[in-house]
Amino acid sequence: MRTKLLVAIVLFGTGLILLPMENAVRAQRLRMKYGGARVTFELREAIGQNLAIALLAGMRGVVADFLWLNSHTFWEKKEWLRQYRDMEVVVTLQPQSVLFWDLGQWHIAWNIGYGSLSDPKNRTKAEGIKREHEWHQKAREFLERGIENIPNKYDLYFAMGWLYYEKLSKDCDEPPCRDALCRATEYFGKAAAFREAPQFVPRVYARALEKCGTLRAAYEEWKRLWSLDHSTTEQTWSIIEREIRRLENELQIPNAQRVFPPSTS
Amino acid sequence: MNEGPANMTETAVALPSASQDHVGFSLNRVGVIAVNTLTEAVRQKVFNFFLIIGLVFIASASFFAQFTFGEQMKFIKDTCLGVISVISTLIAIVGTAQLLPSEVENRTIYTILAKPVRRFEFLLGKFFGSLLLLVLSMMAMSILFGAVLWIKEQGMIRELSQTYLGESAADKADASQQIKRLETEAVDVDLVKAIAADLAKATLVASITLLVSTFSTSLVFNVVVPFMVFVAGMLRGTAVEMWGGHQLLMATLAVVPDFGLFSIADEINLGNVVPWAHVGEIIVYGLARTLIVVVAAHLIFSRREI
Repeated sequence: MRTKLLVAIVLFGTGLILLPMENAVRAQRLRMKYGGARVTFELREAIGQNLAIALLAGMRGVVADFLWLNSHTFWEKKEWLRQYRDMEVVVTLQPQSVLFWDLGQWHIAWNIGYGSLSDPKNRTKAEGIKREHEWHQKAREFLERGIENIPNKYDLYFAMGWLYYEKLSKDCDEPPCRDALCRATEYFGKAAAFREAPQFVPRVYARALEKCGTLRAAYEEWKRLWSLDHSTTEQTWSIIEREIRRLENELQIPNAQRVFPPSTS
Repeated sequence: MNEGPANMTETAVALPSASQDHVGFSLNRVGVIAVNTLTEAVRQKVFNFFLIIGLVFIASASFFAQFTFGEQMKFIKDTCLGVISVISTLIAIVGTAQLLPSEVENRTIYTILAKPVRRFEFLLGKFFGSLLLLVLSMMAMSILFGAVLWIKEQGMIRELSQTYLGESAADKADASQQIKRLETEAVDVDLVKAIAADLAKATLVASITLLVSTFSTSLVFNVVVPFMVFVAGMLRGTAVEMWGGHQLLMATLAVVPDFGLFSIADEINLGNVVPWAHVGEIIVYGLARTLIVVVAAHLIFSRREI
């Protein structure tokens, strides 16, 4: 009996001593935004019993992947609402996943959007267009939440810019909708500010500035890109040179101020 | 060691034999027992079954072919790390559960303890043997996991290069950046951190199983109870979230380790920063808990009537 008591005291006592350490690690996890949504009854209802068990066993990633595969199946079956619902659950489970936010908005805006537009159940063409616009807005709201969760990576800013540039810029009465293009430029600018952004991102930003109607700003951006160290920056310099030359002509920049003055020969 | 006259039977059993009394602690003897334990454990069908299942799952994880590069990599890593985590936990429980009962059942424990071997050395040897088994099986799974990732990465790079063959210089430059990103993301050194945390978790599970097996001779009981403790430990984080304000309840729950703290694989897969300092804290926490449980196991085993 004394042995059992001693063992119980050892286990409980040391457990209590280790509590501050546990709390510190837990606080760190919270600070670094580890994990995802709390396992609630609503979440358990949404994912089903088996996946809830897997989730509680610490396999959050596997559960999210499984639901993602499931949502892919719904896409193939053209069950878009179910697909959308599953994608919502996936990003709730792993809100720190760039991949799920990015591909999710692409599915919503491009695939589901087009599917709704061309759905034979639409009574009129206008109904299809309206439904497509609604999905575009859903994609925008989806991505906004993604950016709130992951503000420290370029990917979702670029995705949002692309959504405005490709989809929302065609959703007004007389496309191209300049406002949407200018919003796209804002997001491309934010994406281009990240050091790890691929080389095409700043080029897309400069091009979007032009589409927004700010030719001068676009020219300045191309010039800024050209001024970067060619030996250390990975970039396709021929494209930048071509764009600068074109804009210098379009903007009629005086020869003295041009980066590439026309050759006199 | 002496518990006083209150329980004479226990006291008589607790007293070390004359030979053990004069024998100092020897790491060498612990090592010999550990190696023997490992040899016995490797011969078990159940261990081989779990290991083979794990290896098959890991090898087949590369069949997510119809998805984007990012999806494929994420699915492979999630699946493989999940398999490593589950299989290592199962091996820790099943591999350790029968260590002591089988020695008692086969009566080999009498032969060993009749020799100048301390009970603590015997217990520690058994535990380290189980730990060696865990390390070896996790190494095997990790190596295969690395190989699967590498093969997948090479395949993707080949595919990307072929896609951009004959394209413009700008496209080729973009492809080269994509390949570089793929190379850094695919075989990520940070994955070692997730495996290290899993090993710490499995070690703790093994120690809990050892503790249970010091007072129970039923194999089923030795498997089910640690598994229940593991499940309870996984739910501790949720309990803290829901009833964190109830100090007394939290203090009561402190006896169960929080196994959720070891879950860092998802964060590494998502590209989140997981500092070594954080991993170190988790490992120290795991080792501290393991030490406590092994001491508790020793307290019971040293006083047990065999």
